[in-house]
Amino acid sequence: MIARLRTEHAPTLLVATLAAAFGVALLQVTGYLGSAMRADDVTGSSATAALMLAIVAWVFIVIAVYVSGVVTANTVATVVAGRTRQIALLRLLGSTARAQRGAIAREGLAVGAVGAALGLVVGTLVAIGLAEWAAVADVLPRVDHVWADPAVLPPVIVAVLTTWLAAWAGSRRVLAVRPSEALGNAAARSQEELTARRGRTATAATLAAFGTLLLLIGVALGLVTPLGVLVGLVGGVLSFTGIVLGAHAVMPPILRVVGRALGTSPPARLAAENAVRHPERSSRMTIGLVIGVTLVTMFAVAMESYRDLLLAATEDRPDLRVGIEQTVSATVAVFGILIGFSGLIAAVGLVNTLSLSVLQRTRELGLLRALGFERRQLRAMVLAESAALTAAATVTGIVLGTFYGWAGAQAMLGSVQGIPLVVAPSIPWGVIAVLVVAAGVLTLIASLAPSRRATTVSPVAALAIE
Amino acid sequence: MEIQPSDLGLVARVAGLGKRYGTGAGAVAALENVSLGLRRGEFTAIMGPSGSGKSTLMHIMAGLDSPTAGRVWLGDTDITHLPDGALTVLRRRRVGFVFQAFNLVPTLDVLGNVMLPFELDGRRPSGEERAVVDALVERLGLGERLRHRPHELSGGQQQRVAIARALATRPDLVFADEPTGNLDSRTGREVLAILADASRAHGQSIAMVTHDPIAASHADRIVFLADGRIVRDTQRTSAEEIATYMLSMERAA
Ligand SMILES: Nc1ncnc2c1ncn2[C@@H]1O[C@H](COP(=O)(O)OP(=O)(O)O)[C@@H](O)[C@H]1O
Ligand SMILES: [Mg+2]
Repeated sequence: MIARLRTEHAPTLLVATLAAAFGVALLQVTGYLGSAMRADDVTGSSATAALMLAIVAWVFIVIAVYVSGVVTANTVATVVAGRTRQIALLRLLGSTARAQRGAIAREGLAVGAVGAALGLVVGTLVAIGLAEWAAVADVLPRVDHVWADPAVLPPVIVAVLTTWLAAWAGSRRVLAVRPSEALGNAAARSQEELTARRGRTATAATLAAFGTLLLLIGVALGLVTPLGVLVGLVGGVLSFTGIVLGAHAVMPPILRVVGRALGTSPPARLAAENAVRHPERSSRMTIGLVIGVTLVTMFAVAMESYRDLLLAATEDRPDLRVGIEQTVSATVAVFGILIGFSGLIAAVGLVNTLSLSVLQRTRELGLLRALGFERRQLRAMVLAESAALTAAATVTGIVLGTFYGWAGAQAMLGSVQGIPLVVAPSIPWGVIAVLVVAAGVLTLIASLAPSRRATTVSPVAALAIE
Repeated sequence: MEIQPSDLGLVARVAGLGKRYGTGAGAVAALENVSLGLRRGEFTAIMGPSGSGKSTLMHIMAGLDSPTAGRVWLGDTDITHLPDGALTVLRRRRVGFVFQAFNLVPTLDVLGNVMLPFELDGRRPSGEERAVVDALVERLGLGERLRHRPHELSGGQQQRVAIARALATRPDLVFADEPTGNLDSRTGREVLAILADASRAHGQSIAMVTHDPIAASHADRIVFLADGRIVRDTQRTSAEEIATYMLSMERAA
């Protein structure tokens, strides 16, 4: 039991550590840059620059924390789904749903606290390492800096609270577990749950429709004023929230199409079924990655469009163009890495949830082995499932990101030349290529542990009555 | 030239079978020196007290587990040391299973579960096979339920789906381990009658573990296990006689 809890919480611990470490490292680095600027303050503007840096840093921290929250909530939901029988048994014996949910939230708080503390240490060490590297490589002069800075604590606290909150949110299903599920089939969903799901779909659809409308209004406004981007931003956040909320309805059709592309071999067909037949499970596994890929693509598309616009405007000034190319490339690279970190957290989430869900399907895998599925076919099935999930998430993210990136660029830049201008979306092929390769690598990594696990399942042990 | 099991009219056979769990002082001998041949087209009931080795015997005969002593044949193939891949394919083509519970893949609907053996074999059923499946589904009363998922079915319906699946590819041999263990006795007997019927219609062999003397009284042959050994092997007999023997075994234990 203890060992099982530990493996179940390892993913959440890792995510909390990553999010906190990212925030701490970012703030430590900006703090260090602040020290460097103060040491070399000729213009007297170092305070403003430091503030700007801090704001930018916080934008990325918020994104990373948000993604980590979504990932953790989904991991916890996966754990709860796997523990249904056990929860139902305790309910049967008289424990209240509230008490059980409270226990899971407390586990989340404890895991979050440990992870955040680890993150504080790791993040600070990474920042010190970077400062050391900058000094050795002669990028920055060596400056005095106090690393023990209370200003880096907020992301640590935020990481703890987010994990706690996410565990609470992710354990919502505990309330829906009926005591009778200890005796019967755990896959059954109650009427209330189906009603709740319908309500959720309706809310998601409303948000998405209203948000998209607002986004288009923002784009239209953007033809006359750059402030259109603010309206568009609100619309973008709302519509994307709708998509995240309605993932159980959005992802299965995409997974179905992707699944068909996997081929018609038995492992591929079963994998496609698996990915589609359990909409909650597959949306839990993919949505984090969709968010990560959308953000990276959106940003890259917006920057690429901006760059193409600038290049078009400076056609007769080759001297300027080199500078523009360099600045934009550097910005894309730095910001891409910073947002990419959220993508990494999302990837960790996918690896974990896929592992957990395979672990929870031991019986099913044993049954398949008994009925004549070979080991290599099981391995192929897990790989295909991993590929379907990753590919669906990546493609969705790229499509959404391209749309949002273009909308952002259009709303912001549509009026810069004084006359309304339609900005063509520019596709950053380099970034897309990196995403596709990363998705391929992720597919393999995510399927590694579960496929090893799947092939060691003995049909006899899996079918034993507990 | 060695005599093949099929020459003796057998579809499966074990000789001098032994199975131990663990080593040293804590070792458990689940089976000891068991020799048994299952005859073609025969319905064999396996009975015995809990822990007597019924499941273990069934798993080994079906190629789901390997013995620690003795030899095992499935058809004419000696599967004792067969590599996993070949064994899996053999199982897929020649053997059907009905377990006590967890028989169905939860993500697949009834039809998906029944067609699973074809799916796993990577082929579509021929027209004739499709007709067999349709007839089975009708006979088992599952016609209205083909698009339902397992959790929408009662225990008896789930077991009927498992039976349809076990018989769908018309395997030589069907193993059923307490297929009615989770059902009330009336539903249980219904399920058994269907199993026995369906298999007799196609001359398939069935080996079934059961606790129910009435169910066993429908079998052509009854094998009693106690402490990992075969203690009695009899032709069809009455439910009363079976019940009396079972009682005497439990008393002796
Ligand atoms: N995986 C295992 N590890 C250790 N002992 C086992 C294992 N499986 C079965 N046994 C033991 O083997 C004996 C026979 O078990 P089993 O074949 O399941 O009996 P039955 O099905 O007749 O109730 C029992 O004593 C049981 O405890
Ligand atoms: Mg048993």
